[in-house]
Amino acid sequence: MDAATTETLKDLFKTRLNAAMRLYLETCTRCGVCATACHVYASDAQIRHTAVGRAEIIRKVFKRYFQLEGRIAPWLGEVISLDDVSLELINDAAWSCTGCRRCMTYCPFGIDTQMIMSIAKLLLIGADKEPKLLTMLADMSIAKSEATEETRPAFTQAVTALEPEIKALWPSEGPAVTVEREGAEVLYVALAGKHSIIPAAAIMNAAGENWTLSLFEAVNFGAFLGDPKKSGQIARRIHDEAVRLKVKEVAIVECGTAFRVMKYMSGAHPFKVVAFVELIARYAKEGRIRLDGTKLQGKLTYHDPCQIARNGGVIEEPRYVIRQLTDRFVELRPNREDNWCCGGGGGLVALGEKDFRMKSSRVKAEQMKASGADTITTACENCHSQLTDLNEHYGLGMKVEFLSKLVADALVK
Amino acid sequence: MAANTVTDAVAAASAAATATSGGADAVASASVVPHTGFALVVDKIDWAVMVPLVYLSVLFLLAGIIWRIVVIARSPAPPYSPRIFPASRRPGLAALNDAFAMPQVRRHAPIFWVFLMVYHVAFLLLILGHLDILPGIAIMPKSSRHILGAGAVGVLVTVPMLYFIVRRFRSPNREVSVPADYLLLLLLLFLFLFGDLMSWGNSWSPSGFVMTKQDFARYFDGLARFTFADPRTVLHGSHYHFVVAHVLLAEAFFVVLPFSKIMHTFFSVPINLLRRR
Repeated sequence: MDAATTETLKDLFKTRLNAAMRLYLETCTRCGVCATACHVYASDAQIRHTAVGRAEIIRKVFKRYFQLEGRIAPWLGEVISLDDVSLELINDAAWSCTGCRRCMTYCPFGIDTQMIMSIAKLLLIGADKEPKLLTMLADMSIAKSEATEETRPAFTQAVTALEPEIKALWPSEGPAVTVEREGAEVLYVALAGKHSIIPAAAIMNAAGENWTLSLFEAVNFGAFLGDPKKSGQIARRIHDEAVRLKVKEVAIVECGTAFRVMKYMSGAHPFKVVAFVELIARYAKEGRIRLDGTKLQGKLTYHDPCQIARNGGVIEEPRYVIRQLTDRFVELRPNREDNWCCGGGGGLVALGEKDFRMKSSRVKAEQMKASGADTITTACENCHSQLTDLNEHYGLGMKVEFLSKLVADALVK
Repeated sequence: MAANTVTDAVAAASAAATATSGGADAVASASVVPHTGFALVVDKIDWAVMVPLVYLSVLFLLAGIIWRIVVIARSPAPPYSPRIFPASRRPGLAALNDAFAMPQVRRHAPIFWVFLMVYHVAFLLLILGHLDILPGIAIMPKSSRHILGAGAVGVLVTVPMLYFIVRRFRSPNREVSVPADYLLLLLLLFLFLFGDLMSWGNSWSPSGFVMTKQDFARYFDGLARFTFADPRTVLHGSHYHFVVAHVLLAEAFFVVLPFSKIMHTFFSVPINLLRRR
C-alpha cells in the first residue's frame, strides 16, 4: 500500500472518531466477557470471531496512528499498521460481524462493536476493497431515486397487477393499493418483492387505513456497505417522499436494518417512523383488524430480529400480534433482546456467503430445533432468508413465515 | 553507638516516635550512622522516590486524566444514538448500575464478577485508607494505629489480582491480551504485594507496630506542607525499603494510569450511558 493510500485511510479513520467511538476504542479492558455473545464464536470458536477479537484489530490501528503508545511503545499494544495484510484482517472482521450488537448486552461497558466495525467498513471502501455487489446495489438504489419520472409508470403498473392477490386476502372496493398519494396518513415502504406488498396491503386495507405505497424500496444497502454517504442518500429518498406527500407516519416493511436506519440513524424527521409489526399490533389493539386464532396449525415460535428488537425496541408488539394468532406460541430460548442473531444480517444475505452463514449460525439452528415449534415467524426480510436457509441446511423441517403473511392469512373478513 | 553521630533530625524524630508511637523498638535498633558511598546514593534515591517523584507523578496523573477527558469531551457527538433496548426508564441510574454492579458480568461470568466486585470494593477502601492518612481527613479515629482494614483490604485486592492474572493466561483472554495487559496487572500485583509486606512488616515489633498510621500521617503531612524533609526521619521501620518500593510502584501506576485502560474508572459511567440513553 502506498503512502498516499495510508494517509487517505488515516483521514477516513479520523472522520469516525466521535466521542462515543473514542470511548469504545479506549475503554475496553479485554476482559473477554463478550466472547460467548457472538453467534459466530458460539458456532465456530475462533478468537477472530469474538467481538473483542474484531474490535481489537481496529483498536490496534487506532493506537498505531492516534495514540502516544503507538509511537513510543508500539509493542505494548501490539499495534497494527495499515497495509495489505492488515486490510485482510479488517475485511475478515468487518464481514464476519452481522452488526447484531448482542455483544453490547454482555460487555460491562456496553461497547458497540457494530460502530467500531463501521470504521473497518469505511477503511475497506477507502482501499477499494469493499464488496462490490453491495456498492452496486446501493448505487442502484440511489440511481432509482434520481430517475423516478422514468421508473414510476412501470412501477405503478407492476403494483396494479398485484390487485387480485391483495383482494383475495381482503376484498375491497376501489384500488387495493395507491402509489405516492398525497395526504395519506401512512406511507408504507416495501421491498422489491411482491411478498412485501401483498400481505401488508391486505392488512392496511382491512384496518381501513389511509395509506399509500412508497416508490422506493426500504432496504438500505449503503448501511450494509458501511458507507455513511450512500446510506444517508438512500434514507433521504424516503424522507423527502414522506415530506412531499405530507404523511404522518412512515411504516417500514419487515426489514430490520431499514427500520433502524430510518428511525434511529438518519436524523430527525417531521413524521413518525414505525416498524410494520407495530402498525399491525396497533390495528389489533384498536380492534381495526380481527384475527382468526384457529387458523394456524402446530406450535409457533418467533425470532426477534436484532435490528427491530434489541436495536429497535420493538419487542412486545410482535408477541401481542402472535397471541391473536395462536395459543400454541413457544418462545425461543434465549429470546427478546437476548435472542441469538440469525446470522444473516449486516449484508451477509445480500452477499450470498452461504457457507459462512450456515457454519457461523449452527447455534441458531440448534436454538430453533430446541423450541420444538413447527413454524418460525419473524419480521425481517434478512432473518427470513437466513432462517429459511438454516431450516434447509440443518434439515429442521420447520416452516418459516413472515409475521405479516400469517396475519394476512388470518384476517377475519 | 556514639551520641555525637546522631543527627538532629533523627534525634527529634526518635523522640517523637518514642513519645507517640509503638515505633520505639525500631528506633532504638535503627542505624543512625551517617551513610556514605553507595548507601548515601541509595538514601538520595529513596528520598527522591519518597518526596519529589510523588509530586511529579501526582501532577502527571492529574494532567493526564484531565487531558484524556478533554480529548473525548471535545470530540464530536456520535451521529446517532447507540442505545440498546428495552429502553431504560432512568438511563442515568441504569448506567450507574451497569458501572458499579456490572450486571452483565454477573450474568455471563459469575465467578469473574465475584472477584471483580471484591477487587473494586477493596480498591475503594484502599483509596479511602490512604486518604485517611492525609491531614484533615478522619475516616477512622486518628488515634487508631491501623490503616483502614488493618491489612485485610490489601489481601482483598491482591487475591483478585492473582485471579485476574491467571484468568488472562486462559483462553479466550490469552489470545486477545497484549503485553500492556500483563504488565499493568503485574505492576498492580507488585504494588499491592509491597503494600501487604508493609502491613506484615508492621507486625514485626513486639508491641505490634513498627510504622503506625501516625507515622505515615507525619510523612503525608510533610508532603502536604512541602517540607521536602527526609521521610526516613518519621518512618523508622527496618522495612523502610518496602515503603520506598511501594511508593515507587504507586508512582509508576500514576504515570501509566492516564494512558491505560484503567481510565475506565472515569469512562465507565458515560460509556454505559451511551447504551442506556
